[in-house]
Amino acid sequence: MSLDIETVVISAIATQKQLNTASIKRESRLQDLGVSSLDAITIVYEVEEAFDVEIPNAELEKLETVGDIVDGIGSLLADK
Amino acid sequence: MGERIVITGLGSVSALGVGVEPFRSALLAGTAGIRNLEKIDCSGLRVVIGAQVPHFKAADHLDEALLPYLDRFSQFALIATKEALNDSGLTAGQYENAAAIIGTGCGGKETDEATYSQLYRDGRSRVHPLTIPKGMPSAAASQVSLQMKIKGPVFSVTSACSSSGHAIAQAALMIRHGLVDVAIAGGTDAPFTCGLLKSWDMLRVLSKDTCRPFSKDRSGMVLGEGAGILVLESERHAKARGADIYAELAGFGMSSDAGHITDPSVDGAARTIGLCLQDAQLSPADVQYINAHGTATQANDVTETAAISKIFKENAASLAVSSTKSMHGHALGAAGGLELVATVLSVKEGFIPPTVNFTEAGDGCDLDYVPKEVRFGSIGAALSNSFAFGGLNAVLAVRAFQ
Repeated sequence: MSLDIETVVISAIATQKQLNTASIKRESRLQDLGVSSLDAITIVYEVEEAFDVEIPNAELEKLETVGDIVDGIGSLLADK
Repeated sequence: MGERIVITGLGSVSALGVGVEPFRSALLAGTAGIRNLEKIDCSGLRVVIGAQVPHFKAADHLDEALLPYLDRFSQFALIATKEALNDSGLTAGQYENAAAIIGTGCGGKETDEATYSQLYRDGRSRVHPLTIPKGMPSAAASQVSLQMKIKGPVFSVTSACSSSGHAIAQAALMIRHGLVDVAIAGGTDAPFTCGLLKSWDMLRVLSKDTCRPFSKDRSGMVLGEGAGILVLESERHAKARGADIYAELAGFGMSSDAGHITDPSVDGAARTIGLCLQDAQLSPADVQYINAHGTATQANDVTETAAISKIFKENAASLAVSSTKSMHGHALGAAGGLELVATVLSVKEGFIPPTVNFTEAGDGCDLDYVPKEVRFGSIGAALSNSFAFGGLNAVLAVRAFQ
């Protein structure tokens, strides 16, 4: 399941930033990928749609790496 | 009176193609861009024709990385602005403090409608987070500023089918009064959405076959889309940098009918034409050509003809009046921009674009509408008319530059 989340998150980032998925790792920092706050809410939207979860606004500000998004979604799904 | 204003750059996106060159060629050849609608997801749609930008792919003209942020109306505005600025020969430093006044009648309706469809048709609870920044009516103006690094006064003007005319007049005022030396002005619209097509259809003004302005058998307007953007400059600034000058933007007239939300008014239109001539210090005898509003609706064509006759009196008989909407359709907020581009080319190059599809003159339509074929001859001055729903009128005057 975790891998699936990672694939979806990476693909959402790749689409938004016109990047190759291979260049995006779990450890990649969002800032280094050129992800602005507007990009971040768009990426989060795509992921929310895919997994039908709601990431609270307060959590959004804490996201620094690709892995943060993946783990956040993972724990939201575990709580469901 | 303040600074004289000249036109030094043109940009256009329309049913006649992307760029001024295909636009110009079509005006000369009398080729219409009215076709069967390209595929549109809209059940029960009765509208079958339109003047869409043919086979438009934004990625052919704009950086792909930008596209997620751009509604179609912003894409058109950006493409036409880039062309106009490139055409003007201005450097980035020379337009950094320019004004950019972008008219739009509709705003980012593709974006808005996609969101409403998601919410109300698909029953989803979440909508795309870029809905506001893409769909807001000022998005096109903002994107022009962002992408071209234009930092002067930038905003949108909206007055339905006169949006471009009012935007250009606003930009001209800024130059005239010394606020800026350079202004990018015109309009953009992308109204081929299911909701807008159906809404226009319900006004019973859309033609089922084609656009025949001023003709007896005219059957209504044909919707168009695109952007018409011009670079305006103070004459002083243009001359100092040795710019190629297309023509002078000699003046403008603006007024409101305070009459009816859809019906046009002879008095309102005539008053606006009169104000424009006065502002441009032109007499009716000085004007050889009017690029008419000419929508091919029952109401417009008779009213506009009467308004022109009221102001031009005995000079009306020798005046050429054509509607290029017969070729590029009615591009709403972009119409006045596209039509000013046509008018400027006409004055600069000495040709009068025809009213194509013209059959025989309709009742109350007794002017020379330049039927079917382009005409050549020197034009000293020309007007471009825009008379919008809600009675909002804007008329622009172009004079040959000496």
